[in-house]
Amino acid sequence: MHKIYTAIAGLTVIALSQGGALAENETIAVFTKNQTNPYFQAVRVGADQAAKALGAKTVQYIPTKPDSIPEQMSQIEDVIVKKPNAIVFVPVDYKAMISGMTKMNDAGIPVTNVTDRVAGGKSVAFIGADDYSLGLETGRFLLKTMSGKGNVVILEGVKGSLTSIDRVRGFNDAIKEAKEVKLLTSQPANYQQLQAIQVMENLLQAHPKVDGVLAANDAMALGAIEALDGANRNAMVVGINGTKEGVDAIKAGKLLASGDYNGFLQGCIATAVAIRALRNEPVPKEIILKPSVIEKSNYQPYDVSLETRSCPKWEDVATLGSVTKP
Amino acid sequence: MNAIQATSFSRPHLKLSKDVLQLLYRVAGAGLIFIGLSLAAENFLSVNNLLNVLRQASLLFFLSSGLTLVVLTAGLDLSVGANVGLSACLSAAAIKATGSPALGVVVGFAVGLLVGVGNGLLVTALRIPPFIATYGVLWILSGLAYFYMGGDTIHGFPPGFRQIGSGYLLGIPIPVYLMVFFLAVGVLFAQRTTYGQQIYAIGANPVAASLSGIPVQPRLILVYAVSGAMAGLASLIFLARANSASADLGEFLTLQAIAAVLIGGTSLFGGVGTVFGTFVGALILTLVLNGMNLLSVPANWQPLVTGVIVLLAVWLDTQSRKLT
Repeated sequence: MHKIYTAIAGLTVIALSQGGALAENETIAVFTKNQTNPYFQAVRVGADQAAKALGAKTVQYIPTKPDSIPEQMSQIEDVIVKKPNAIVFVPVDYKAMISGMTKMNDAGIPVTNVTDRVAGGKSVAFIGADDYSLGLETGRFLLKTMSGKGNVVILEGVKGSLTSIDRVRGFNDAIKEAKEVKLLTSQPANYQQLQAIQVMENLLQAHPKVDGVLAANDAMALGAIEALDGANRNAMVVGINGTKEGVDAIKAGKLLASGDYNGFLQGCIATAVAIRALRNEPVPKEIILKPSVIEKSNYQPYDVSLETRSCPKWEDVATLGSVTKP
Repeated sequence: MNAIQATSFSRPHLKLSKDVLQLLYRVAGAGLIFIGLSLAAENFLSVNNLLNVLRQASLLFFLSSGLTLVVLTAGLDLSVGANVGLSACLSAAAIKATGSPALGVVVGFAVGLLVGVGNGLLVTALRIPPFIATYGVLWILSGLAYFYMGGDTIHGFPPGFRQIGSGYLLGIPIPVYLMVFFLAVGVLFAQRTTYGQQIYAIGANPVAASLSGIPVQPRLILVYAVSGAMAGLASLIFLARANSASADLGEFLTLQAIAAVLIGGTSLFGGVGTVFGTFVGALILTLVLNGMNLLSVPANWQPLVTGVIVLLAVWLDTQSRKLT
């Protein structure tokens, strides 16, 4: 008799929790910067997966013109009218979007800030990874593989962009640690593959000996590899972002490594935080994910399509980075 | 046809010496940059570096040569970059799906051409001003590309296909041959054919051109079609070169292509300019990037240096016009 009661009680709990989750069916508005950078695609898929697992649904807001400040602003005005339960927010610009944050705050919709920290307004939590340590760790990995000596060049991203400035700063600090490594030059290729080919071709003309290339994203790293191949030259190349194309190149032995910012995880965790906060479950104030360097020995988990990846269990989130309690 | 030859806005051969003189001035702009770089950067004059510069300039030239014809009619094609992006993505998808580079080439070229014809129809049949028409098309094309790609890239193409972008023949990159070919065709078409002369006439004075019996609308459709087709061609070379297609492939290209046309001396008001000038314009822009890389100009200084050199080149050109 006692056993049956426990069983029934147990079943009821399961039924309740499942029914509860389904009945909640919160709508989470997810804001990202653009449709061009695969990183944000990873954030979106991560957000979708997390929402699905928790019985909520997402609505995606993406500016048609990449990184457009006015467009994201009007999407915010739009979303305030539609009143989703919560917002997961990547600002197109960390300063310009303070007023966007204020608008969402005024409308009383809780915002979880992801990837780029808005320089103002109130948010439930911030989930991100910092570009500086990403550059530093990826740079260190290259220099270690080069046995701490040789000539390197840096390919920078879009001039003045926060991600590029921080990643390049990380690269430079890694180079400073290796006394026998010489930085030949640091040139911009605007995160574009084709520009990186041309810039790298030019640099190979100017520098007869280049042993390593630090590119601030994978597209530029792959461009550099094309230029090296074209000139029959060899150098170890690292990129950042852990894109599909980058992982393929690591598998093929062309790219040495790619620092991973892990957009998928950021999307997962931020959306889980947003939903947990709605359900009055405890959430941290900030999670900064550890950078991971994808290379030949550990690329396998990344070699599957985004849609088939699954979000980490909430209990494991704390092991993925540094967590700041509220 | 006789009517055209008799009108004052055709380009009689008497003016040739003046044209040649102006051309020399324009080349002088590129020449000064060239001499400056050979003095300042020790590896600049190496054969490899010069071939590099030519190959890089060829990519820009494909786009800007077609655009030159449009600008000669006092029109503008703002969609060239987005056209490259969409054509490259669809061509890449076709190659991946069928394994046939030939089909990819057909798709890339056809998409480019179709977009061009579409631009031409918007400008002629619907009488939408070229700036607005092609600006709208720009958004439609990049929207389609983003939608189709969904943030992904398509990469890894057959070695045979890649030859058109990265291959060599007798030690010279294949895109350089293509550039020389299209430069010759472009110059001959604009300078030596009735069609070319009609395009100049339309740009100089569309009403007069129409009154003198030039089929203005079909010629306008033609120039937009050529511009689109060249964007399609450029997309193939880009694809073969980068070995990767993404929706934003062409994003940085439109402004550069327009700059090459204008630096090359073609007037936005139509009727004045040459395809050869555009070649020089593309060369100047490429030399500036090459030089900044060779000399390790810091990233933050590069836009400023580019701006100053572009202004100097154009100033030199306007001075030459006063003198000749």
